[in-house]
Amino acid sequence: MKTNSTLVLFLLFAVPGLLLTGCGTEGEGTPDFDREEMLLHYSANVIKPAFQGLQQEAENLDSQVGAFVDAPSAAALGSAKAAWLSAYAAWQSANAFNFGPAGEDGLRKGLIEEVGTWPVAVGKVENAITAADHSLSGFDRDARGFLAIEYLLFGGGEAEVLQQFEGSSSRRAHLKALTADVLARVQDVNEAWEGYEAEFVSNNGTDAGSSTSRLYNEWVRSFESAKNFKVGLPAGKRPGQVQSEPQLVEAFYSATSLAQLKAHLQAIEDIYYGGGEGDRQGPSLKTYLDNVVGGTALIAESEAQWANVMAALEAVPEGQPFRELIAAEDPTVEALHTELQRQTRFFKSDMSSLLGIAITFSSGDGD
Amino acid sequence: MNRVRSVLAGHSWRHWAAWLEEPVSVAPLAAFRLVFGAVMLFSTLRFWALGWIEDHYIGVPFTFKYYGFEWVQVLPPGWMYALHAAMALGALGVMLGLLYRFSALLFFLSFTYTELIDLAYYLNHYYFVSLASFLLIWVPANRRCSIDAWLWPGVYGKEAPRWTVLVFKLQLAIVYIYAGLAKINTDWLIHALPLRIWVPANDKLPLIGPLFSWKATPYLFSWIGMLYDTLIVFFLAWPRTRLLAYLTVIVFHTLTGLMFQIGVFPIVMIGATWIYFSPAFHERLIGGIERAAPIPFLAAGPLRAKPAPRALGMMLVLFFAFQLVFPWRYLAYPGNVFWTEEGYRFSWRVMLMEKAGTATFYVTDRKTGRKGVVDNSEFLKPHQEKQMAMQPDMILQFAHFLARHYEKQGVHDPLVQVEAYVTLNARPSRLLIDPEVDLAQVEDGWKPKKWILPYEDESL
Repeated sequence: MKTNSTLVLFLLFAVPGLLLTGCGTEGEGTPDFDREEMLLHYSANVIKPAFQGLQQEAENLDSQVGAFVDAPSAAALGSAKAAWLSAYAAWQSANAFNFGPAGEDGLRKGLIEEVGTWPVAVGKVENAITAADHSLSGFDRDARGFLAIEYLLFGGGEAEVLQQFEGSSSRRAHLKALTADVLARVQDVNEAWEGYEAEFVSNNGTDAGSSTSRLYNEWVRSFESAKNFKVGLPAGKRPGQVQSEPQLVEAFYSATSLAQLKAHLQAIEDIYYGGGEGDRQGPSLKTYLDNVVGGTALIAESEAQWANVMAALEAVPEGQPFRELIAAEDPTVEALHTELQRQTRFFKSDMSSLLGIAITFSSGDGD
Repeated sequence: MNRVRSVLAGHSWRHWAAWLEEPVSVAPLAAFRLVFGAVMLFSTLRFWALGWIEDHYIGVPFTFKYYGFEWVQVLPPGWMYALHAAMALGALGVMLGLLYRFSALLFFLSFTYTELIDLAYYLNHYYFVSLASFLLIWVPANRRCSIDAWLWPGVYGKEAPRWTVLVFKLQLAIVYIYAGLAKINTDWLIHALPLRIWVPANDKLPLIGPLFSWKATPYLFSWIGMLYDTLIVFFLAWPRTRLLAYLTVIVFHTLTGLMFQIGVFPIVMIGATWIYFSPAFHERLIGGIERAAPIPFLAAGPLRAKPAPRALGMMLVLFFAFQLVFPWRYLAYPGNVFWTEEGYRFSWRVMLMEKAGTATFYVTDRKTGRKGVVDNSEFLKPHQEKQMAMQPDMILQFAHFLARHYEKQGVHDPLVQVEAYVTLNARPSRLLIDPEVDLAQVEDGWKPKKWILPYEDESL
């Protein structure tokens, strides 16, 4: 009797399934893709080099600023400014990895909030200088990081800035404290990545806490922040804004907003392809997508739209500071924002849906 | 002729009523109570320990309402914790059989209120928990193996009317069979979607992972899943296949529990399906616990064979009639239920599709003509945004919220439009809602939503 019922169950459950196994479409949906290899590639060839490059630049910035505050001169100020521009460009390639060692941990916020917050609270920076408080220990993330340094270095004409530093030892000490703080935070992340790498690679699932999910989520967030905070908000594209607000652009004082945006979007593209120029080999989000159901179609649509984004970016005139274009509500900025908005769905919902990545921890509907 | 028929009908009605009132062993019911209470206690404490009370219900600027339950509000933080404490106490009381009816009522009310706070967290298995705990209020599941029976020997009894056990079996049968029937569709059976997306995403599970990268696996799982859901209660009900069927239950739910982020649902079902085991099995189980318990149970208490009040009977008939009919309401709407979701919820459509969207809201000041783009994350938690972006009624609710919010911010007579691109089972995303419609002017209701764009099937 037992045998019979086993047979009945087997026939009912297994046979139709076996019969149908030959019916699948060829090609797509036959995954021979290894997420673990992808994670290893990102860690070794994308993330670590980005943080290491950032650290070199932060070290250079710290030492150039050190030379400047020890002996203020126009030449030393020029070198410090050059070092800042170079370091901040490196930051654009490293600002999308705010998880693990660069993620939130208790009171410490993600690296992006600790070193990349703007607009700078000028009043807080000046108050700290007046009070000779260089501890940087408070929660005022808008009074430290790269953009506070930018304010101090680029906040006025060359002679004016030089004069400010020559006349105030507290200002000199504060600038040095700011660059040392950025360097220390970047060093911490680099050191921690060495230990975190094995965990990152082995956490190879697709659940909400998996490395793929975290890498992907932060990448999308980075793209969204470029769209919303580097273009949309300054351009007055939020409902309720009655005009553009050029003072909200990134890198306001050095007037390099457009260059920063270009570097940022290039980094977003590089992460998608799994590498920088000439080195796009290695399993990436794109190759992963190429190995799942519906992936080919999404790649085609998404990359076509990305070409529109890049074209709109190129169309923004370089001769005039971005903040002035924004103040004038220039149509090229409007067009760029529209194209960025059109990109969102491909990166945000289409991609996570096709890859089967869980993006939130809440339970789904069980079965 | 007519007289004969009415007599027969009358006879059969009385016959059925008497059959339903026949005393049977109360042991299966007591076991169900123990298991259900324990799982709910675990579930509530887990939710608390994961910090989810705060994540879900504290500092949220906006919650999505259930149609007709707009009065259910998120409570201040202290009260949200109190509500979950009441839920845990209720579950504990159910498990121990302590002040049982009160505990069951407390659990049902606190759980259901919590679930009604935010539609974004709707889950079919939460709906099941609400229904099952509602049924528990009306049955004497504390007659055995309970603190009540120890404190008040009059409570003790070995039997209960047949219907008190049957309602749970029926409830589970509805869940499984409807979930199975919902899987009979082209995407699920022929294209093995969404399992062709979900199965390979799990190819790194220990031991069984490699199996998931086989091409055949999603097809196999689709068919097994459909047959399992549709037929399992019959195999559980039939003594000859019961043990094997129950092993299938364990394997099936363990597997889905490993593959998907579905929380405690697998344990709920593995525990609840116990009720299909024979009275003799439960008798041994419950008797064993009673003998092992440090407190003596007085095996005196006569069975009070009061028939169920007619009103209770009527209420239960309506309760089940609703559940049998409501899931079919989607037939009254035009279009694909997966796309429009008109009639999707409360119908046991579980893990049935892979759907996701990006909804971009545009708010226009009618006086100045200035058009702005909303950053949804300013108002919504990631899970809320994810759910909203693919469900028309939630998109509408959020649009109404935006109109109110921005009007207060000084936007004149806001016009709210949405560009919602949705992908369904890996098909290229397309517009879900007519992007021209001013959603601020649209009211929700039971009528078909004409502002949902039609969905044309496109094979993969």
